[in-house]
Amino acid sequence: MRRVAVTGIGVVSPLGHCPEDVFEAARAGRSGVHRLDIAGAQRLTAPLAATVRFDGAEHFEPPQLRLLDRVSQFAVVAARRAFAHAQCELTDVERERTGVFLGTGMGGTLSMDDGYQTLYGQQSNRIKPMLILQGMHNAPAAWIAIEHQLRGPTLTYSTACSSSSVAIGEAWLRLACGALDVAVAGGAEAPLSIGSLKAWEAMHTLASVDGANPATSCKPFSKNRSGMVLGEGAALLVMEPWDRAVARGAVIHGEILGYGLTTDAAHITRPSELGQAAAIHSALASAGLCPQEVDSINAHGTGTLANDSVETSAIKLVFGTRANQIPISATKAVHGHLLGAAGALECVLSLLALQHNVALPTLHLQEPDPQCDLDYCANEARPGGAGQTLLSHSFAFGGTNAVLALRAAR
Amino acid sequence: MTTVDRIRAMLVKDFKIAPEQLTLDARLEDLGIDSLGMADMVFNIEDAFGLNVPDTAVTLTTFGEIVQFIDDLVVAGDRAQAPRTVLPLSPVQAP
Repeated sequence: MRRVAVTGIGVVSPLGHCPEDVFEAARAGRSGVHRLDIAGAQRLTAPLAATVRFDGAEHFEPPQLRLLDRVSQFAVVAARRAFAHAQCELTDVERERTGVFLGTGMGGTLSMDDGYQTLYGQQSNRIKPMLILQGMHNAPAAWIAIEHQLRGPTLTYSTACSSSSVAIGEAWLRLACGALDVAVAGGAEAPLSIGSLKAWEAMHTLASVDGANPATSCKPFSKNRSGMVLGEGAALLVMEPWDRAVARGAVIHGEILGYGLTTDAAHITRPSELGQAAAIHSALASAGLCPQEVDSINAHGTGTLANDSVETSAIKLVFGTRANQIPISATKAVHGHLLGAAGALECVLSLLALQHNVALPTLHLQEPDPQCDLDYCANEARPGGAGQTLLSHSFAFGGTNAVLALRAAR
Repeated sequence: MTTVDRIRAMLVKDFKIAPEQLTLDARLEDLGIDSLGMADMVFNIEDAFGLNVPDTAVTLTTFGEIVQFIDDLVVAGDRAQAPRTVLPLSPVQAP
């Protein structure tokens, strides 16, 4: 198996548009969550979201823009940024061996919502001719491939909240075994329509508004947590074999050591500590690590009652008495839950945490919960806390658990 | 504004085509308007002209043919007895 380096990072996120800005916001605990003021927000019980400042017209000419749902716009811009960051010029032959691996949970749901509004809301039959192309889940990956002329596999993964960790993991597998030479991998999500927010709300998974400060509404691992806050954005990595990166003098931002993937096969929503623990074990095995070698963890940490206590139990199952000595970060408190892009954005934050050797804080952890009794780096970043080796967890409705094992390039 | 001016302005705005390229004999293919672009253009023309382009097939290949076709529909509409003519659409090429 070949070692795999991350040489480019591109982000479009509620915390900023370049990796360092995103990292600094997460380190300082500047929340991207706010009250949502889009049309129809008054129909939401808790109008909250982590939105991205983004105008597609600044990035695309009108003929292409009309074909692109917001999720594809995010993905294509993040890919541009990742390739620019990687300073990676591909030859024609290399493009044949370059793949796109993209996670998205809801694809072009904004466009579909708009189409349904036309059809059912306005009782009009005038559906825009590009709706299918905007709405299809594989559009973001396809547009990246078209723009950069990447002719290897172009794959879209939709495993709800673990989609983009799966995408990065699957890219890692192909690079590690020699099937590909370059991959752009990560996720994109643009789920903030009233339709999808109402659907998430109906499941009783969303956080209620913190009256004192809406930006603090998502409170992972805190006893007073009330749910997650939806976010939007994209994060993409350029990944390549370590030797190739070294040979071309690339800046290496970190290493993907391995990847664990398991399925609960139990319940469509309720997380399973056994399934999650199995994914952690699987990631350790694939990376050739023993539990003692894990220095820190990026938790899935959604801020829902069920996730945070079950994830705590899973960590204890794997790490035993050492579990409370491992710094754990839950950054969704500040960037929201980007669903199919969450794992990729957290992978970016984790790589930067390793680079800076800083364990990122879990914000808004105001009340300790006896069921969540590990070290979550509450409210303050911890210099020296990330260490050399980090696990990034992503768990999902549907029960697909993905864990990435990452190492600093220092 | 005449039909030709209105459609020309739409193509300049929506497709970023230089106005001087939009001569009546300019081929749509050469202007970068493929079957997908045609579907998009017809939708926008329907909105702008308040037309309902009938859903039957015909092949139009130049800018001038489109203008003539839409002009005919407008005139027919003005006479309030639009004949069921033709759609300037080749089907979107799909796998």
